[in-house]
Order: sequence, then structure tokens, then C-alpha cells
Amino acid sequence: MNTFMRWAGILVVIFIAAPLVIVVPMSFSSANSLQFPPPGYWFGYYRAYFTNPDWLIPTWNSVIIATATTILTMVLVVPATFALVRHKFRGKSAADVMMLMPLAVPHIVMAVGYYSYFGDLGLVHSHLGVILAHTCLSVPIAFLVLSANLKGFDRNLERAAQSLGASPTRTFIHITLPILRPGLIISALFAFVQSFDETVVAIFISGRDAATLPRKMFDSIRQEADPVIAVISTLLFLLVMVGIAAPYFASALRSRAPKPSRPPAGAH
Amino acid sequence: MGMSLSRLTEKTNIWPWLLLAPLGIYMLVFFVVPLADVAIMSVTDPRVSLANYQKVLTGALYQRVFINTFLTAAFVTLCCLAVGYPLAYLMAHSKPRTAMLILLLVTMSFWTSFLVRTYSWMVLLGNNGPLIAFLQMMGIEQLPQLLFTRFSSTLAMVHILAPYMIMNIFSVMKKIDPALIRSAESLGAKGWSLFRHVYLPLTAPGIANGSVLVFVICLGFYVTPVLLGSPREQMIAGLIGHQIDEFLAFGLGSAMAMVLLFVTLIILTIYHRRFGLDKLWG
Repeated sequence: MNTFMRWAGILVVIFIAAPLVIVVPMSFSSANSLQFPPPGYWFGYYRAYFTNPDWLIPTWNSVIIATATTILTMVLVVPATFALVRHKFRGKSAADVMMLMPLAVPHIVMAVGYYSYFGDLGLVHSHLGVILAHTCLSVPIAFLVLSANLKGFDRNLERAAQSLGASPTRTFIHITLPILRPGLIISALFAFVQSFDETVVAIFISGRDAATLPRKMFDSIRQEADPVIAVISTLLFLLVMVGIAAPYFASALRSRAPKPSRPPAGAH
Repeated sequence: MGMSLSRLTEKTNIWPWLLLAPLGIYMLVFFVVPLADVAIMSVTDPRVSLANYQKVLTGALYQRVFINTFLTAAFVTLCCLAVGYPLAYLMAHSKPRTAMLILLLVTMSFWTSFLVRTYSWMVLLGNNGPLIAFLQMMGIEQLPQLLFTRFSSTLAMVHILAPYMIMNIFSVMKKIDPALIRSAESLGAKGWSLFRHVYLPLTAPGIANGSVLVFVICLGFYVTPVLLGSPREQMIAGLIGHQIDEFLAFGLGSAMAMVLLFVTLIILTIYHRRFGLDKLWG
């Protein structure tokens, strides 16, 4: 059983790794269609990506939308998480479940709802519409990360500060926030990534004006499979590598055991 | 919020509600209302009746798509298990360095946009791709059509969802006390019987978690089946999108969406009763 599991495991490693690395040589390909191995190599598609507004505008839209989504999500989620983690009140367990509900609803269902509802409100094909929708989808993810952090918070630290004469405001600013900062950063990062990657709702409501990068990629893959997608895929893959490597290096510098984080799952 | 800390720490009743209110109102306006809109459209568009549900639940096309979606989700879940279990095992039972490298790979796959991964499979399975080239090299005359089939979309979905399964099983496996395995061995269990009666039951919670997650996500999967699958073998999400996008059939699309939502929530509710929903994504 042991050796069988080992060999099966190695095969699976190849299965998982192959699709991740194949986009890199593809992005330098000189072929104008999907051809692997590429007949020759050049940088043409990189130039095409960085000079074509058809790709740059959606990229910029995605950055704006994900940033605004992150800010809005954190403004809403931080106080709510304090309420749910630090207080006992009637209806708390129902509120807990409600926080997670957007994770349980398939994105296509929400896409139908937003398409119709935002259509009535005049919010389709606008940045604001996508931001408002993405915030709903980011809330449970940010909440899960932050509440896990807040549950592990040693409140004696706050009590100690207050018994030494710090006012509640000072305690919050000088004790609570700094200790919670890693949790806040990670939860904001997850909110950002979920918005930046979200495809289904964006396909239905972002239209041409507020088209996000995933929407543009989806349309392009569906219609012509523009090789520029390989460039974007490579750049996104590099971004993920940097994002994952950064905490490793940071913790290696501080010589602590690294621990890769994983985001809660969303329904694609 | 800083000023409220002292009162925050007391167990008064008004504070949690004040802190929750902005999010609560927001979710009501931008989550509950659009969802309710779907429910309302399903019984009012084009006119007030249950005709949409009747069509969706009894029409041959819709039934076939529902069954197809269910079977695909079940098959993808099984494949993820077959793929994920050995890898989680490898991670849990190899040297820390190797385990770290594999974990890094799985994490990387997890974080990579699923559009990117879908696109990769298009390259791998395309007519000018390495797999077809390999088959040609082997001298196979009748080259199969790999792309835009049930095969390609299933394969890509397994690849995309496998990390959920792997992470869940691995987190259970690494917590197994080796003393349990040793004592089972000292009592004479070995090989298959050791696995079947000791190891497998110990990893069951991870399997349950991973399977529910993969199955539920797969039920509502839109992007990958639409891009890689056969147009003749749609899944529910693809058909819903089609109704809205092409035919502007909001009533029909909404009714299908409600059925999808209903099934998803039933599965998650059963799970919630047994294990607690927060564990699923934790």
C-alpha cells in the first residue's frame, strides 16, 4: 500500500504541476494559435498586452474594483466580527450562519439576481455595481479569517493595558490593532483576491465599460483564444508565486516555521 | 469604534447590534434582495404561475441537464478523492522538506485563477497540444477530439477542485497520532486491513469535508464547463447563463437557479447539522 500510494502521489504531483507551468513557455510562443511546444519564441505577446488598451483597461478596472471592494468589505466586516466574536446575544448563531451564506449560494444564482436587480437600479455596466456585488461575496471570506484571528486574541493584554491606566481608545489603538494587524492584512488580501478573480458575476453585470480582467479573459478564451491570455496567465501565476513566497521569506528572515495560508473556498 | 471598547467588553445588548447594523443592512440590500428577486422572477416572469418550475422539473432537456450535472459533480468528487488521497498521504508521510514542496505546489494551484487553469487545459488538450502530439507519436491513426468534450471539462474541474480535497484530507492526516497506527500494527493489523480498519476511518472527517465542498462547488460550476465542455452536454449553471444571456428568459433561468440553490442548501444544511458549517471553509 505504501509504495503504491507513493507512486500515485508522484503522478498526482505531475498532474497538478503541468497545467501551472505550461503557460510560461506558451506566453513566449511565436505561434498565433494554441500550439505546444511552440514553434519559436519571442516577446511579441508581452508587447501586445502592455500596449493594447483592450487588455489594459480591464486590468485597470479589476484593480480599481478589487481595491474598492476590499475597503468596503473591511469597513463592514471589522465591527461586525468584533460583535460576533466578543459578544453573546440572542440570534448570534443565526447571524453567524448569515455571514457565511454568500459562500453557500452558487455565483451563477447571484449573477442572475444582480443582472435583474442592478438592471432596475441602473447599476449594471458600472464599476459601482460590480464593487457592491463583489463586497457581498468577499464578506464571508474576510469574516472567516478575521474571526479566527480574533478568537485567538488574548484579552488579558487589553485588560493589562487598561489596568495600567490606558483609556479604551488608547488600548484599542496601541494594543488591539497592532496585535490584530496580521489578521487584518490577510483578511483584506483574501477579499482583494476574491474580487480580482471573480468571474461569473462580472461576466453578467460588468458590461463593456466596467469589464474586469477575468471577464475579458473569459470572452477572449471563448471567441478567439488570443495568445495574450498566456501572457496574462503567466503574469498572474508569477503574482501568486510572489504572494506565496513573500511570507516564507519574511518568516525565514525572522527564522520562524513558515506556514502557507489558504483561503476559504468560494463557489465558482 | 475605539471609544466603545469599554462598553464593547461589557455584555450590554445594544452594542453588538450597533456594530452589526451596517453590515446587516448592506447584506439585506445587496444580498438578500437580489436573491429574493430571483425567487420572485421564477414565479412571476413572464406571468404569475408555477409554469417555469413545471417546465424545469418535467421538461426532458432540463431533466437531462440536472441529471448530467449531478453525475458530473459526483464523478468529479470521486476523481478528486482518488487524486487527492494519495497526494495527501505522500505529504503527510514524507520528509518535512518534500511535504513542504508539495504543499507549496498545491497552494500555488489553489491560488492560481481558475480561468488560468482552464486556459492551460485548453493548451494541453488542444489539437496542436502535447497530448495529441504524443498520441500521434505513438502511431495512433484516429486521433480523438479531446477539447470541448465531457472529458476535457471533467479533467479540468478535477484539477481545479482537487486542492480543496487535498487540503482537507491532509489537515486530518497530519493530526493522526502515529501511536494509533503502531498499536494497531502491534495487534496484528497490516497492509490492507490496517488501512481499511484504522487509517481510513481516522481520515474520514477530511474525506467528508473535502467531498461536500468539491461536490457543492461543482454543482454550480459555470466557467470551466462553458469554456471546455461540449455544448451539447451543458451543466445547470451553463444552461442558466444561456437562458439569461441568449433568450432573456429570466423566469426560466430563475426557476433553474432556485432549484440549484435549493439542492445546494439542502446538502449544506445536512452538513451543518452534523459538523457545523464554519468547519467546512475554516
